[in-house]
Amino acid sequence: MSASQSVLAGWMEIAPDAVQDETRQHAEEEALAALVSEYASTLYRVAFSVLRNAPDAEDAVQETFLRVLRHRTSLGEIRDHRVWLIRIVWNIVLDRKRRSKTRPETDDIAELARVLPADGLSAEQRAAAAQHHAHVLQCVDQLPAKEREVLVLSAFEELSSVEIASVLGVTESSVRSRLFRARNLMADLLNHARMLR
Amino acid sequence: MNTPSSLVSNASSEAEETLRVIAKLPAPEGLEERVRGALHEAPRGGQILSWPVKPRWMESGLARSAAAAAIVFVVAGGGWGVYSRVRPAEAPNVVVMPRTGGFSSAGAMRTPKTVDGTVLAHPMTKPAMQAAETKKATHAGKKSARAKKPANAP
Repeated sequence: MSASQSVLAGWMEIAPDAVQDETRQHAEEEALAALVSEYASTLYRVAFSVLRNAPDAEDAVQETFLRVLRHRTSLGEIRDHRVWLIRIVWNIVLDRKRRSKTRPETDDIAELARVLPADGLSAEQRAAAAQHHAHVLQCVDQLPAKEREVLVLSAFEELSSVEIASVLGVTESSVRSRLFRARNLMADLLNHARMLR
Repeated sequence: MNTPSSLVSNASSEAEETLRVIAKLPAPEGLEERVRGALHEAPRGGQILSWPVKPRWMESGLARSAAAAAIVFVVAGGGWGVYSRVRPAEAPNVVVMPRTGGFSSAGAMRTPKTVDGTVLAHPMTKPAMQAAETKKATHAGKKSARAKKPANAP
């Protein structure tokens, strides 16, 4: 096919051949299925860490892959699929968080008590642990957005500071300085809360 | 006794521990299947509509390119046809003349007369202003004294 033919074919979205088109579609579907198997769980955890609600987190993961489906033709151009996908889900969950109304605190604790691992813990211990985690998360929510985002992402052991920087679209040094500030602010908030009790 | 730095590290590690617990939570069962199902049901944009009857010549790339070129030619030609036929309205050659027996305004425009504002002959200086104020105050005092005086007073 000459250059002009390929330009026209691309412009009119005409597939060169029906067989080739089917093959291409099949390959794209396979690539997408592989992405789902490999990263759905990671994306769910990232979404849950922000939304703290299982159905919302699952919705966010589905929306992420639907966006990928829409841009499936550019999948080949992506260097690091994991960071790319985390970036998509991160933007989705932040958008959802911004739009959603704040849920009552009791809902958070109940949800945490339901999902937290209960390795040999009694019901009381589990409830106390959930309450403690909910309190810490409340303090995390009080942090400024930039610091909070870095702190939340730094909890994912599989993400390096370079990758966090890539997800947030900032430099690595600003990730480090934000993390330092976030830790100091968290300490202040937790100590202040402890003194009030 | 705890030093401030140890307090910071304890508190921050406490927070990070909580976030780590959240970050390690397992995904729910069947998440991947549900996502795959959602992807399968999702509409796929940008697909080519197939013709009910597909002649063999349409399958060749050259024929498709020719068809595309023909469409472009027809659209561009049609546009040019419309453009070349439509003539812009010409400027009227008729000059409007004044009525016979009258006078033309010769393009003159009426300017309404406006009343001039107060013009100060001499600009007020600071001592002059003070003198004017004193004069005004005296005048006002006299006026009030006159007003207070009864009408039948000597």
